[in-house]
Formats: sequence, C-alpha cells, structure tokens
Amino acid sequence: MRNPWTRTGNYKTSYAQDTTIFATYSEQASLAVFLIGMLVLPRFLVRGDMQILDLILIYALAVLGLNIITGYAGLINIGHAAFMGVGAYTAALVAPHLPFWAVLPVSGLVAAAAGAVVGIPALRIKHLYLAIATLAFQLIFEWAVGHSPALEQGGAMAMPRGMVFFGYKIAFKNHHYFWYYVSFTVLVLMAFGFRNLLRTRFGRSLVAVRDNDRAADAMGMDPGKTKVFAFALGAFYAGVAGALYAYWSRAVVIEDYSLMISIKFLAMAIVGGLGTLVGSFLGPAFLELLDINMETFSYAIKEIYNPPGVDVGSAIRPLAFGLAIVLFLIFEPRGLANWWRLLRSYFRNWPFKY
Amino acid sequence: MSYFFQLLVSGIVVGSVYALAALGFVLIYKASRVINFAHGHFIAIGAFTAYALSTSLGLSVWIAAVLALAFTAIVGYFTERIFLKPLVGQPIISVIMVTIGLASVFGGLIHMTPYGSGNFSLPGFLPEGGVNFAGISVSYPQLLAVVFTGVFLAAFGWFFQRSTVGIAMRAVADDQMASMSLGVSVEKVFALAWAAAGITAAAAGLIVGAISGLNLEGLVGIGLKVFPVVILGGLDSIPGAVVGGIIIGILENMAAGYLDAYIPGGGTGDVFPFLVLLLVLWFKPHGLFGTEEIERV
Repeated sequence: MRNPWTRTGNYKTSYAQDTTIFATYSEQASLAVFLIGMLVLPRFLVRGDMQILDLILIYALAVLGLNIITGYAGLINIGHAAFMGVGAYTAALVAPHLPFWAVLPVSGLVAAAAGAVVGIPALRIKHLYLAIATLAFQLIFEWAVGHSPALEQGGAMAMPRGMVFFGYKIAFKNHHYFWYYVSFTVLVLMAFGFRNLLRTRFGRSLVAVRDNDRAADAMGMDPGKTKVFAFALGAFYAGVAGALYAYWSRAVVIEDYSLMISIKFLAMAIVGGLGTLVGSFLGPAFLELLDINMETFSYAIKEIYNPPGVDVGSAIRPLAFGLAIVLFLIFEPRGLANWWRLLRSYFRNWPFKY
Repeated sequence: MSYFFQLLVSGIVVGSVYALAALGFVLIYKASRVINFAHGHFIAIGAFTAYALSTSLGLSVWIAAVLALAFTAIVGYFTERIFLKPLVGQPIISVIMVTIGLASVFGGLIHMTPYGSGNFSLPGFLPEGGVNFAGISVSYPQLLAVVFTGVFLAAFGWFFQRSTVGIAMRAVADDQMASMSLGVSVEKVFALAWAAAGITAAAAGLIVGAISGLNLEGLVGIGLKVFPVVILGGLDSIPGAVVGGIIIGILENMAAGYLDAYIPGGGTGDVFPFLVLLLVLWFKPHGLFGTEEIERV
C-alpha cells in the first residue's frame, strides 16, 4: 500500500500524478511549517535584522526572474539590475498617483516591455553575443538615467512616505516589518508561478530551447519568440522586485541598479544553483550574509594589516565575493541547491545510506 | 576643420590603446572560446606593477615596464592553469562567471594595495611638448603610444606568422582536434594564450600610464570598452581587434567632441561605443572580420 507521507516507490499511474507539485504529504507539511515560520519570524528579530531579511527577500525575487532567463532559457543576462531599475524608476514615477498594490504590477509590466525589447536581438544572436548585448543594455541604461533630469540624473528620487494601509500607518518603526510581509507575500505568489512554469507548455519550451534550439524549432516551437518571452517574464519579476526595493529603501538611486548588482544577481543564481527554486532563496541569503560578515571581518583584519591609503573594508568584500563565485564554480557548480538536495535525501533515507 | 583632425588624432591614440587591449581579449577567445571579463584588471595589474617598481624600487621606467609585462604574463598563465582549466567543457555561463569572479578577486587584491583608489602617474620619461602640424598638436607620449602599438602589433604579427609556437596557437584556434593529433599540446596553448593576453593587456596599461594618469576605475573601464571593439571587429579576428579598436577610439572622440554640447552632463564618449555595439549586433552580429557561424542540424 502506498504511504502518502513519504516516497517509498513509484506509484504513479497517470500524467496528472507525474506533474503534481507535491508528491507527498510531508512536502506539503514542510512547506506549511516554512510559511508559518517565516510569518512569525519577525517577532523574534530586531529592526537591523529585518533590514537584511527584507533585502534578501527582494533580491530572491529578482533572482527568480534571472533564473527564468538564465536558468531555464539559458540566456546569459548581464543586465538584470537594469530591468530591476526600470521597475524601480517606474515605481518612483507612478507611486504618487497609485496605491502600492497597483504600482507593483505596473512596474513589472514596464520592466517586461523593456525585457522584450532587450530580448529582440535574441531572435538573431545567441550565447556570448547575447550576453554582451545585455551588458550593453545595462551600461546604456545607467548612462541614460544619469543624464535624465526627470530622473534626478541618478540621484535620490524619493518614494511617498507615511502610507496608510487598511488603517495601518507605515512609519519609521514598522517600515521594515510592513515591507517584509508585502515582499514575502509577493515572493510566495511569484515563487509558485516559477514552480508551476515548468508544468506549462511555455515553461517546457523554454527548457527545450535552452537544450537545443534547432531541435525545438524542428518540433514546432518558435525559439525566437520563446526567448523574447523569457526575457519579458524574467524582467517582470525583476520589475516587481525593483518596485519593492524602491518602497523598501524609500528612494531610488542609480547605484542600486548598477552593473555590480547585475553581476551580484548572476553570482546569486550560480551560488544558489541555476534554475532551481530553493537556490533562488539560498543564493541571495548566502551572498548577502557573506557580505555583511566580511564587513565585520575586515575590522579584525585591520588590526593586523592596515597600511596607509588602503581601505581594507572595501577590499575584502569584493575579494570574498569573487572567491565565493570561483570556488563554487570549480567545486560545486550545481550550487547550494545541490547541498540542500543531498541533505534532504540523507534524512529521507536514514538510517540507510541510499 | 582642424578641430575635426584634432579629434581624429586623439581618437587614433585612444584607439591604439583599445586595439592593444582587444588584441589580448581576442587571443583568449580565439584559443579557448572564453570571454575574459577580468581583462580590465589585467590592464590595471600591468600598469600598477610598472608604477610600483619604478617608484618604490627606483628602477628606470623601461626596466619596470619590461618586468611588468613579464609579471602580467605570469599572472595570466597561472590564471588559466588554476581557474580556467578545471572548467574546460563546462557551459558558457560557468566560464563567463569564473572570469567575472576573478575580476572581483583581482579588484579586491588591488584594493589591498595603496593603488586601489586615487590617481597615479608614471614618472615622466619623455620630453614635454610635441609636434605641431597644420594646427594639430600631438604630444610626444601620444606619438610614442601609436608607434609603440604599431611595433607591438608587428611583433605579434611576426610571432603568429613565423614562430612555431604562434603557428601552433593558430592551429589550435582553427581546429583543436586536428592540432592535438598532430602533436600540439592544446593545454599549453591555452595557457600561452592567456600569458600573451597578459602581455598585451599590460602594454595597454603602460600606454595609458604614458599618455594620461593611472586610476583603477579608468583602467578597468578599458576592459569594458573592449567589448564594443571586439564585436565591431569580430570576436575571433586579430586584424578586427586592431581596426575595431581604432574605429571605436575615433568614434568615441568624435561623439564626445561633437555631441557633448547637446547633452546635459556630457559624457557621450562613454556610452557611444555601446550604442555602436548594439547596432553591430543587430545588423552584422559577427562584426567586420569575424567568422560567421553557420549552424546545421
């Protein structure tokens, strides 16, 4: 008899069972525990921790988008922060006129339009050439914002403050808590979208185009259109993340959407595990916590090595960041998601080895 | 009209730096199909090594320059051996990301030295002033930059056409399997390509040091400007790198000279090469001299 709590064998008798999201009750139960845990977590954290947690959640949302473009569709995107920036600047422009729950999708849609435009060269070029095109878009975006008087030339564009949401006033003290719940809700919804993408026709054609676009073409898919849609969808995620980031950081500044951040997103996707849902959470968490710990670590280094003219703090962070990317690529190319998988299978099979 | 020619001349000078930088970039791509995002950092390593040797050890600039070229070549060689070799056969994204990670590591290491921030200039080793010709002035360092680039390119041309190692490198770029079966060590060629790229990058850094000041961001920025150059010239074409470099240098200066007045804040020269890059990718993705990739099922 099949045990509905654990996976004891393959009892699948129909395609519907094969494509189900939750294979066992214990998966549903662990998800419920995770969701409840995340909902009560803010009770135990101080304001400073909440700030880091919010940042990780928002970055996780952006990395989900990048995982659609780069992980599923295999299109290397070195301009993801620019998509996020398009969303953030849209949010800054429309926020005074709309409630925030309407600003998020609007920002996402504008970013998606930008993504589709950037994706157009994908009809013709691929691989490295496409990566370079997205790099060019990133640099042109930064330059264009820096020269637009309407966007404060990249300086701070303030977001509206003192919002009231169902009689709940958002002020300085509960700011991070409020945006935590908003970001978390949006993230959970969009993560479900991400998880379900591979169950749809479009999602599977993404993977087919990634693995072999000529074969996909021969089987009746349109690789060009699929790639452009992949860019649009991934950019939608980034745009929503950008709008959230704008609200959360209370202002839109170009430095938050620069080439460095694009590279950070790619690194997060890689460190987490390309094209995996759990990796989209683990990657941002790992790299952000690494960054913060390196800042503290640099004080220890300063005791030993602190020559004049050297800012150890600004040296150690890129060093650790770069080393994390390189070491992960060489020793664990499948990222933290693979460790997560090994950990789970260890507990599932315990006390047996396999 | 003399304004036009003045822009043209300074464009050629900047372009020759780009050509040298792009040359190393193309060498790596041709040999091992790797896009090197750390190229700007190689340029910086070369330039700051020369600066450090000539100021702190008091060596003459020429000796310091030669030592810097050698040092950067060694850095390139070991970069390939340690970081790129384990990734042979991995997907493109891994290879791109490892060079991006290396760029970050090199950036961090340079920040560990006093050269991470601020401006530096190599001690003057050329007479001040320059040549004046029909209202166009060219300073001696600028003249030297162009001459040096020419000599360097000629030397590399000789190396690839005549020397055994150079011919082996071209063979590997052409067909790895065939050259392996003829006894060429493909592994060694990969590492040598990185070493050669290190030399050209350091040379580009030295020229920047001779014609203007050194600062980390500017040098790393050249590593980004290499992208428009190689896309315009063709990713796998050495003549393309030279021609593309000079064209992009000229276009950048022309754009800055003629368009900055109309744009608030100026800085057109920084973005114009990337607009060119996008246009080239749209209309002629393999550039002027690049090999067209033809796909068959």
